Amino acid sequence: MQVSCNHRDRIFEDGTLAEWAALEAHAATCPLCAEEVRAWKSLSVAAGELRDYSDSPSFWPRIERALAEEAARNPRRAERQGWFSFLPSLSPAWPAALAGALVLILILTLSAAWIYLRRPVDGRGTEDQSLLKSKALKEVESAETVYQRSIDKLAAEARLESPATPLLANYHEKLFVLDSAIAELRAQAGMNPSNAQLRYQLLAMYQEKQHALEEVLETKRQ
Amino acid sequence: MGTMGLALPWKARISSMPRERGTRVEPSEHFAGGPSPAVGDARSEDAALAAACRSGDLRAYDRLYTLHGARMKNLARNVLGNPSDAEDAVQETFLKVQRSIASFRGHSSFVTWTYRILINTCYDARRSRLRKKEVANDDSEETPRPEPRAPGAHPSLRMALERALAKLTEHQRDVFLLYEVEGFRHAEIAGMLEMTETASKNTLFQAKKNLRLMLEPPRGSARETR
Repeated sequence: MQVSCNHRDRIFEDGTLAEWAALEAHAATCPLCAEEVRAWKSLSVAAGELRDYSDSPSFWPRIERALAEEAARNPRRAERQGWFSFLPSLSPAWPAALAGALVLILILTLSAAWIYLRRPVDGRGTEDQSLLKSKALKEVESAETVYQRSIDKLAAEARLESPATPLLANYHEKLFVLDSAIAELRAQAGMNPSNAQLRYQLLAMYQEKQHALEEVLETKRQ
Repeated sequence: MGTMGLALPWKARISSMPRERGTRVEPSEHFAGGPSPAVGDARSEDAALAAACRSGDLRAYDRLYTLHGARMKNLARNVLGNPSDAEDAVQETFLKVQRSIASFRGHSSFVTWTYRILINTCYDARRSRLRKKEVANDDSEETPRPEPRAPGAHPSLRMALERALAKLTEHQRDVFLLYEVEGFRHAEIAGMLEMTETASKNTLFQAKKNLRLMLEPPRGSARETR
């Protein structure tokens, strides 16, 4: 590989091993490049002066004490994490949303069973049941709209457009993901409005978003 | 739901120890072949460490400190200028990790995430220090307190480099410290500073060009000081 003085800066910035070898070979016959390569490498050598990994024996005990005090201050959080430790990659809001969804499913199942047991035995009930279904759907949709407005208010309060810390940046990304998921579910629910499973998933997403926004507000208050 | 495939900006995984303690010379980013078994080990160790920290096990934090504490403190010291503030920043970082580990979703390397917290904690500390100075009406230039040096260190070179680094932009200084001093790869730095790998390479190039201009000795004395 042949290189010239013109290639020097590019190789300094992003040269491959082969390009560096070619530059070194070129530098052997070019005093200007030889000086530049030497100066460039000497900065890396000088950087070593800023490296000091000496240990301070009292430092870890100090951190450990602070961590233990923090854990003692928030035992409920640790306990909650412990319960859901089998879900290592999920945030604690997820298990909460899951638990909420399970309770809702239970209530709805019992309601369905109750309605089924109390249904009229003659044919008159068919039309009423259908009306009830669309009524329930309207109720769900209106409750959903109210819930969504409340969450939007929370989001406006949280103001996460330009997060100042990595934690807030994480929340920002999490909310972005949740918004995408909500939009996707809403689109699916629009095509199939009576699908209760989609409604449950949508509810869980809204709850997760609500928890995330509450956590953001709590973090900001700290 | 289509959320799992979402591309997040940090994918880099970090080895548990500084790659090399000695001099770093170019190039370091072009390795042949695919990921080595060591990379897989580092990933599983990273995930295990994150899981252990999430469970609240203090021994996991001890392990994190054993693997990265010295490097974290060195980075904080170079950003903040003195060991006392650096220790405070590292301690604060551990507490922030403990407080927010539940929100760590595992899309990034746990260690990249930890260093991001450290860097932001250092920025916060620096800003708060500047605010305090403004309140105290102290307009004297910020000078690092004297501190014990590592054996074999060259104080004048170190001081010259520190002074030159202070004149770089924040990003240039951070990329230089992370790459040249701490030995991170550009992919790792990109994850920590939320930039692209190419931007990290370019920032390092600009940083070194500027440093070179600042540290260039006057003509005639060049040979004897180098």
